Amino acid sequence: MLLPEPEQNILDRRDEIVAALKSMLPKGCVIDDRTTMKAFDSDALSAYRNLPLVVVLPETARQVADVMKWCRDNKVKIVPRGAGTSLSGGALPLSDGVLLGLGKFNQITEIDYENRTVTAQPGVTNLAITTAVQDNGFYYAPDPSSQIACSIGGNIAENSGGVHCLKYGLTTNNVLGIEMVTMDGEIVRIGGKHLDAPGFDILGIMTGSEGLLGVVTEVTVRILRKPATQRAMLVGFDSAQQAGQAVSTVIGAGIIPAGMEMMDNPAINAAEDFVQAGYPREAAALLIVELDGPEVEVDYLLDRVAGLMKTSGASSMRVSQSEEERNQFWAGRKSAFPAVGRISPDYLCMDGTIPRKALPEMLTRMAAMSQKYGLRVANVFHAGDGNLHPLILFDANAEGELERAEEFGAEILRNCVALGGVLTGEHGVGVEKRDLMGEMFSEDDLKQQQRLKCAFDPDHLLNPGKVFPVLHRCAELGRLHVHHGQLPHPDIPRF
Amino acid sequence: MAVYTPETSAEIETIIRDALLQKTPLKISGYGTKTGLGGQVQAPDELSLAGHKGITDYQPEELVMVARAGTLLAEIEEALAQKGQMLAFEPPHLEGFYGTEHAGSLGGVIACNLSGPRRISAGAARDYLLGFDAVSGRAGYFRSGSKVMKNVTGYDLSKLMCGSFGMLAVMSEITLKVLPRPEYVASLSLICTSLAQAQSVLSAAFGSATEPSGGAILGEGGGFVATIRLEGVQISVEDRLVSLSDLLASFGDLRVLEGEESSDFWANMRDIAFLDKGAEQVWKLSATPSLAPQVIAEIQSSFDIEFGLDWAGGLIWLSGSGAGLGSHIRNILAANGGGHATLMRASDSIRAIQPVFQPLGEAIGGLQTRIKTAFDPENILNPQRLNLGGEADANAF
Repeated sequence: MLLPEPEQNILDRRDEIVAALKSMLPKGCVIDDRTTMKAFDSDALSAYRNLPLVVVLPETARQVADVMKWCRDNKVKIVPRGAGTSLSGGALPLSDGVLLGLGKFNQITEIDYENRTVTAQPGVTNLAITTAVQDNGFYYAPDPSSQIACSIGGNIAENSGGVHCLKYGLTTNNVLGIEMVTMDGEIVRIGGKHLDAPGFDILGIMTGSEGLLGVVTEVTVRILRKPATQRAMLVGFDSAQQAGQAVSTVIGAGIIPAGMEMMDNPAINAAEDFVQAGYPREAAALLIVELDGPEVEVDYLLDRVAGLMKTSGASSMRVSQSEEERNQFWAGRKSAFPAVGRISPDYLCMDGTIPRKALPEMLTRMAAMSQKYGLRVANVFHAGDGNLHPLILFDANAEGELERAEEFGAEILRNCVALGGVLTGEHGVGVEKRDLMGEMFSEDDLKQQQRLKCAFDPDHLLNPGKVFPVLHRCAELGRLHVHHGQLPHPDIPRF
Repeated sequence: MAVYTPETSAEIETIIRDALLQKTPLKISGYGTKTGLGGQVQAPDELSLAGHKGITDYQPEELVMVARAGTLLAEIEEALAQKGQMLAFEPPHLEGFYGTEHAGSLGGVIACNLSGPRRISAGAARDYLLGFDAVSGRAGYFRSGSKVMKNVTGYDLSKLMCGSFGMLAVMSEITLKVLPRPEYVASLSLICTSLAQAQSVLSAAFGSATEPSGGAILGEGGGFVATIRLEGVQISVEDRLVSLSDLLASFGDLRVLEGEESSDFWANMRDIAFLDKGAEQVWKLSATPSLAPQVIAEIQSSFDIEFGLDWAGGLIWLSGSGAGLGSHIRNILAANGGGHATLMRASDSIRAIQPVFQPLGEAIGGLQTRIKTAFDPENILNPQRLNLGGEADANAF
């Protein structure tokens, strides 16, 4: 993975930079010895590691602002980091950049049941928000698999999803407001307990911006009342194609389940070996469908879904009879990644999204690719919203396997785009899919996105080398080249 | 004054390129049904999307519809209804409010980010825009987003386009997430003696597991009526009506609204039809729901107003008159948990003296202006429609 060439003059100034940061932050907030910095050298995409120039762990928004303003004035790069659970390398450090960790921002600042909001510092974990309000019957809906560890600030950066976003939306649909620090060192507030901030939707654009536009220092999210009942059903199929079709049938019938997940045979067996969830080992594909709401509604919809599954050719069906059993059904799905980790020395997790109807075709292509690359693949999908998580199994110690696995992954993502889908549904582009952006976007599309970056960070100091395959200077992007009364591309047809 | 009516994105590109070359700003419109909303655009020429229309792709089982920006909202809703689906953000039909022939285009709804009562539970227009293609004020054609539900590839420019009032780019095709229509709808209303009590009713309802999809308060006979909407499969709505009735019984006498009585009530809220048609000014306030009664009481201490609440109290519709009304409202919001106010309807002369949109602080105003520069450095598209606090600067970066 190529990161931008470190600037020698910044590396040479390291002592001065560290001294300046120490002078503006409390004791213990700057880490500059290589041994301790090692803990920050990667995120959850651990194939890539790199030591930062220095690590800072500020405690207040004012301190974040001071660091950012100083870095802007001194043209020093910054890589923001939450809990470091990114699967796309979004928090991969730069050798000539300050790693700005938000780990000390770990307080929930306000719980407001009357307006159904929680305000928290960005380092608070996703699950901690639900934990803080669950005794009063509330929860925070987006539930990425990493929810025990991932931070709410990181969720904003990545626009994280989870298994329930089919019905309840992604992070972007559940965030009401943020306090953020701009690269100029300004602390600004967007939104709050009210809806729809005035002007262009900066909150919307910040969400999913992968740490390239600003640093979030406080978050207000909406919380929901926990549904009265939640029940899950396991449905086995003899072919993945049938299972894929069943997903479309349910949604086509006007039913939006709280979650609709799919696992293929290798994933079913890996999970079953690991947690004994009670999955049908012989099934080619398994659907986990969850319905929530009042008990009468859940019973009624379970009946309807069961009928639709039967006509779609289901080979087995089980409905959870207790909360314990429902959790057991999910335990297999939620531990799919570590479960696969047990059957293979290494794996790569991909994250494309495709139109639901393309699922059967995608599975056929995936099987062919598995043969072509000589690598096994286990599939878990957020089938309800078409988000795929193929896990490519490989052994990093075997000569050339990592490269083969990466090529396999890239080909899967190219196929996602070719089938009308996208490179990433919830893990982000980061460094991992950066060089594939051209598969989905034209040069003009990418340039327009980068112009937006220039509005926030004209010197490309915030997390450069992530998301965009080519770093265009803002001056080059910004100019309208009008020469002799002609704009570029005079050949575009006129009417 | 020339009015251009392009039929393809290539034609949109040509018109904007010519405008750039001649440095003549363009007014961007659909059918002109919302020209009453926003600052007055001073532009010699107009680019109307009225000729760029039609649904180009609709896949009900994928929950996706693609339509050209100039497609009539009515046509979109009709096509969706035929397949038992809907725009979940419940776009308002403001023809009555603005006195226009119809409710205008899809592009207009998206550009103004207009959402109805279901905003509180299902989200805003901005939550349903999956993707688009457009031509920027740089005369550059670009695409963003996709036709899938879950996508974090690159910046979410869809959010930026929603509510940009045609000031960043001219959208050509719009891809929407659509949802199944609820099978059954019913509402519960309750007469309260005070606004504070009505607000407590909404707070209790929305804090319960009955999943309300609308929560409104209107004045009636000296008191206030709180109304809560429930939607879904019939058996569920009936069950939740019972739960909600039990929960709210202590507040007063309850009445169930079904069928047309319920749908008319929410259409009335959605389309702002409950306010006096002759009012000098109509304001839309976004506030912290629990503080709405306080905000209203403070406004009433200086101005004679009519009002109604939606979004569980977080949306205050208000009519009144007086040159100082807008700044009074904004000061009171700022002192009560924050929020923002938009002048939704007023004469040109009043809109010329009272900022239509909430003035932005220096830091956010600066960001907004630089975003404008990123898309439209020469201020070609809809200049002054939104008040950004500054102009784009072609030499800014």
